[in-house]
Amino acid sequence: MIENHLIKKENQMRKTLMLSAIGGAVAGLFLCGQVMAADLKIGIMVPTTGSEATSGKDMENAIKLAAMEINDGGGVLGMQIETMTGDDACDPQQGTAAASKLVSADVAAVVGGYCSGATLPTLKIYGDANVPFVIAAANSTKLIDANMGNAYQINSTGFDQVATAVELFEKQGAQKIAVIHQGDGYSEDLAKLTRDKWTEMGKEVVAYEVVNKGEQDHSALVTRIKSKAPDAVFWTAYYADGALLIKQLRQAGYRNLIAVGDGSNSPKLLEIAGKAAEGVYCFSNPTVDYLPAAKDFHANYKKTFNQEPDAYAALAYDGMKLMADAINRAGSTDKDAIIKALGETTSFTGIAGPVSFTDKNTLARSNFVTLIAKDGKWMLNE
Amino acid sequence: MSIQDILLQQLANGLILGSFYALVALGYTMVYGIIKLLNFAHGDLYMIGAFIGFLALSVLSPLIGDSWVGILCSMVLSMIAVGLLGVLIQRIAYQPMLTAPRLSILITALAVSMILSNGVMAFTDGEYLAFSTDLGYEGLELGNVFITYTQMVLVGAAALLMTGLYLFVHRTMYGKAMRAIAIDQDACRLMGIHVNRIIALTFFIGTSLAASAGIMAGTYYGSIHFFMGFVIGLKAFTAAVIGGIGSIPGAMLGGLLLGLLESFGTQIPFIGTEWKDVFSFGILILLLVFKPTGILGRTEIERM
Repeated sequence: MIENHLIKKENQMRKTLMLSAIGGAVAGLFLCGQVMAADLKIGIMVPTTGSEATSGKDMENAIKLAAMEINDGGGVLGMQIETMTGDDACDPQQGTAAASKLVSADVAAVVGGYCSGATLPTLKIYGDANVPFVIAAANSTKLIDANMGNAYQINSTGFDQVATAVELFEKQGAQKIAVIHQGDGYSEDLAKLTRDKWTEMGKEVVAYEVVNKGEQDHSALVTRIKSKAPDAVFWTAYYADGALLIKQLRQAGYRNLIAVGDGSNSPKLLEIAGKAAEGVYCFSNPTVDYLPAAKDFHANYKKTFNQEPDAYAALAYDGMKLMADAINRAGSTDKDAIIKALGETTSFTGIAGPVSFTDKNTLARSNFVTLIAKDGKWMLNE
Repeated sequence: MSIQDILLQQLANGLILGSFYALVALGYTMVYGIIKLLNFAHGDLYMIGAFIGFLALSVLSPLIGDSWVGILCSMVLSMIAVGLLGVLIQRIAYQPMLTAPRLSILITALAVSMILSNGVMAFTDGEYLAFSTDLGYEGLELGNVFITYTQMVLVGAAALLMTGLYLFVHRTMYGKAMRAIAIDQDACRLMGIHVNRIIALTFFIGTSLAASAGIMAGTYYGSIHFFMGFVIGLKAFTAAVIGGIGSIPGAMLGGLLLGLLESFGTQIPFIGTEWKDVFSFGILILLLVFKPTGILGRTEIERM
């Protein structure tokens, strides 16, 4: 009994000691935080290993470049940005691990997200921790449903490409259009959305066709399309077969507008289709090559990293700048305040264009750009 | 476009497509006729023909340009090279298997097909190559029906090759030997015919016809790819079966018929282009149900 009692007492003392030690440590941490408040920790989540490492590192570079520029300009709310990278390896499991790592490191916010598959499961982790998250590249429509309100997508989704396409057709005075896809998920989705949108606007889709993959001869389809005399033909699938179709359409004497989706955004299309591709329109994500506002960024990136920026560098850069802008507007690093400020973004213009959000936290205005083939090259259509 | 114009245009489309099918189907049918082998590597030899033609044209074009003369020269080169490759394949892969069960040689043919297409894939990284030539889009406009000169030349060339082949098989001693071997190899051997040499000749002619179709398709469509022989291989096989496998006029007829079926198949109301292949293969099944030997196929009396 006595022994027991003594042990109990000892335990109690230990508990008290431990509690006070923890208390001290917490207080110490708190004090330290107060003293060293010069740093603002921002997480970068991109794949830096694995199959998509090149694109991931390119985004990481662009985000770091943006952070450097912000720091050189005096930082955010007087704090210097310090980045910390979590590697999602373009894999859902690794993505979860990366997100947990960033959350436990207590980052103020996260910028990144390249692979939709790897980004999807992290939304819950960031959501539970209420961490503001700007998704720079990943753009699956699945992300929209899984979003817990703290994440914002600054890359356009499939819906936006349709909007850009329809806008072009309308501007060119088209009434009747033909839509052709290849029966796979991506191109069929785009075709279906375009058809629905066009008919919703009270206009006519005169042909909605499928081409089998690997088919070389499209002459029968071309004749069928030509006989319906559409004002525009929209090819939603990939470049190799698209090039053949364009060639055969022109060969058969179709002279009206031809447009292709972002799956066909390749110089190879122009090479294969040759002079038949002149004047063909193509929709593309905002890549550095086609953005007039990206000239300085392009030069700085090349100077800093000694390489060319890749496809999503511009959006990653914008993501970091947008986050800093939101924190400035929030006036504090309080997570709710930052999330609210992100949602209220109206006057931020990045190098890929102006940013504001819908009530689903997706881009309010598509940032797809329209390209036109001129002299065997894709150029921005102005 | 009126409905007549559309049908006329589809007739032209079908004839052009059909000539390609016929040229490739001829090789299938000749090889089957002489050694009863379905040479599944045939579509891949068509693809190799396009690639060798591409190489030849890129070497020759600085000297003689990439218009008709250049294309014709590289086509001849490619036909010879692929013809020899066909003979080589026959010697290495098929000859030792001739006495083995029929299935073994069929599987060998599949293996050859894989080796050829994957070999080209390894060489080209699976990329599409742009086959750029100097051929224009000028053509004849008959009302609303439009046919380019290129298309006319291609159909003409195919017709010429097929006529040449027909005359060769029916008017020369070699042709006679081929037809004889198709009926009875052992008897031919007894009569002093060099059976192996004639089989090699058959392979040479059959594969070089496929090569000619390959390079024509390459110049006409403008891009080549390691997988381009697969679909046409299947279609040409279908064409050969429709016409009656083993029969040379049957292969020509079957090719043209399949081309026409595909073109007109897209024009049937309420059936979209996605049903094009269903339509043509459906016809094939119907045909095989009612006439299993094909249109011009005769039961086991004579092939070729």
